[in-house]
Amino acid sequence: MGKILVHVGSQGGEAKRSSLEVLSHVSRKIAGSDDVVVACVFDVNPGRLEQTIGEYGADDILMYMDPAYESHLNGVLAAGLEDAIRATAPSLVVFASSESVKDILGAIAVNTGAAVLPDVVSFSAGSGFVEAVRPVMAAKSLARVRAEGELIFVSVRSGSVEAIKNPKNPGTTTFEAPIKPADLKQQLKEIIKAADETVDLSEARVVVAAGRGVKDEVGKRLVEELAGLFGGGIGASRAVVETDLFPATAQIGQTGKVVSPDLYFALGISGAIQHVAGMSNSRMIVAINKDADAPIFEYADYGIVGDLYTVVPLLIEEIKRHK
Amino acid sequence: MKFLVCIKQVPDVSGNVNSGRMVLNAYDASAVEAALVLTEGTDSEIHLVLIGPDSAKETIRKALAMGASSAVHFVSAESDSMDSGSIAAQLASYCAEIQFDIVLCGKQSQDTDAGLTGGMLAAHLKLPYATNAVGLAYQDSYDGIVVTRQGDSGQEILQLPLPCLVTCSNDMNNPRIPSLKGIMQAKKKSIDARQFENNSLSSTRILNYEQPAAREPARMLEGETEEKVTALVLALVQESGIF
Ligand SMILES: Cc1cc2nc3c(=O)[nH]c(=O)nc-3n(C[C@H](O)[C@H](O)[C@H](O)COP(=O)(O)OP(=O)(O)OC[C@H]3O[C@@H](n4cnc5c(N)ncnc54)[C@H](O)[C@@H]3O)c2cc1C
Ligand SMILES: Nc1ncnc2c1ncn2[C@@H]1O[C@H](COP(=O)(O)O)[C@@H](O)[C@H]1O
Repeated sequence: MGKILVHVGSQGGEAKRSSLEVLSHVSRKIAGSDDVVVACVFDVNPGRLEQTIGEYGADDILMYMDPAYESHLNGVLAAGLEDAIRATAPSLVVFASSESVKDILGAIAVNTGAAVLPDVVSFSAGSGFVEAVRPVMAAKSLARVRAEGELIFVSVRSGSVEAIKNPKNPGTTTFEAPIKPADLKQQLKEIIKAADETVDLSEARVVVAAGRGVKDEVGKRLVEELAGLFGGGIGASRAVVETDLFPATAQIGQTGKVVSPDLYFALGISGAIQHVAGMSNSRMIVAINKDADAPIFEYADYGIVGDLYTVVPLLIEEIKRHK
Repeated sequence: MKFLVCIKQVPDVSGNVNSGRMVLNAYDASAVEAALVLTEGTDSEIHLVLIGPDSAKETIRKALAMGASSAVHFVSAESDSMDSGSIAAQLASYCAEIQFDIVLCGKQSQDTDAGLTGGMLAAHLKLPYATNAVGLAYQDSYDGIVVTRQGDSGQEILQLPLPCLVTCSNDMNNPRIPSLKGIMQAKKKSIDARQFENNSLSSTRILNYEQPAAREPARMLEGETEEKVTALVLALVQESGIF
């Protein structure tokens, strides 16, 4: 294959877990002995990036360090990636499937002439082709897909492959952003963060997700308290986001985010396939629902039939006793 | 103002996958709704484009019944084997022959969840674009639009000049159900049906479908609420690896 480029998503000088999964997997399972794994990362300051990226298996690092990467702007990231692709001339480029990556994947594929397999859960690569498995039909079915071409992009769903250390001593080259925000026709005006969004949902080890069964501020505080015990992220179903009790950024599912924590609590969530599409990659799933026939129990490892307003307070007390 | 909305017919995934019922892609329904809201009470035009088999005409009629003005239908029995790349190439060549100010796509196809076409089309047309929009409004001067998009952390508010392309999330709105009057009017609206040969080879293809591995059924915890909770926490302590 020659060179494999891995895009490492980061924020504030910290690599994202989903990207370390991808980097580790590529260096351990995809790259052959003659292949070179090049990581590229776009951030403001290097922070611990060089060290972390080396630990997870990169042979070379392209660091694009520039204030231009402070916030996500598709034209800026796309230009940086296209620059890294030109510089590396890889046959394969692998990404973690984050919102930022989804925003640019199609455009850079057209601009570089690449074939793309988005949002896969597993893949293998040969000379001039990649075969992969990706969930379709709101994850009801898995499609085995094949891409052919001299340049192939693959984006991987979080939680699909393992982040195991594979230390290397990479060489690092630093670049500026080839395109700055001021060069673009579009402008980023503002970023609105929900006040209660302290933990990055897609990175969280524990996610507590609320559904329409959470009806009011009292219920919301239970969700927050349970999540707080683990430093976990707060997720939500589409139905409860529509009530404005939780921010849209918390939505998990086909439209919302894909999460893959070690532990997922579904509180008052029925388990519609469009919700399950975003959380079935979780390692352990606990469902609390007052309806014994709720479909969520088909996906859960442990289930409690009951009113979340009585179960969750007891659960919080019991967990505290074990902490 | 002239809108072009790219719409797709997809299998209804909410029921049985094999029910065979075909629907307007939910994200495209939101794109049509967004265009309708922005053009309310103006003499703007909402033009639709769909690539699909003859039977996809009913999906075009549905979007026309919601209130879109006109449509072109590239009739192809093989559109299922076209990947996002070849769909985007075809849409781009159509865009080259028409006038538009704003192109709207869905953020993804409900059946394949690829989410590539919008960005690909924008790249072909060299348009500024935004994906995963949850809000859309004109700039005060009407020479651009303000897009609220769902990013990795938080919502990003972007200003785009015209012409531009936006891909829509179904979190943007609740698409209207066509009224009887809308349905009657749609019958009179023009659909420019064009037979079409797909010349661009798809660089990706589906080999086959598999069923996801069945999960073990949940262990349902029994007893009084206190007992259920105690049993659950015991299991969490032993198995979750986070205590
Ligand atoms: C194209 C498309 C994309 C979509 N994308 C998403 C997505 O990304 N994410 C998403 O979540 N949905 C998505 N949906 C919507 C999805 O189909 C469901 O409508 C939604 O997930 C339902 O949310 P819910 O489970 O919270 O609500 P409901 O289905 O109303 O379920 C509420 C549950 O709470 C239980 N309950 C009520 N009160 C209590 C109580 N006191 N204690 C315990 N349990 C209680 C009830 O028994 C019920 O099971 C999408 C739909 C479409 C068409
Ligand atoms: N056959 C088609 N005809 C017209 N537009 C399409 C078609 N397929 C996809 N699109 C557009 O592209 C979006 C989905 O992109 P993707 O997920 O890449 O298939 C849809 O929401 C439509 O706006």
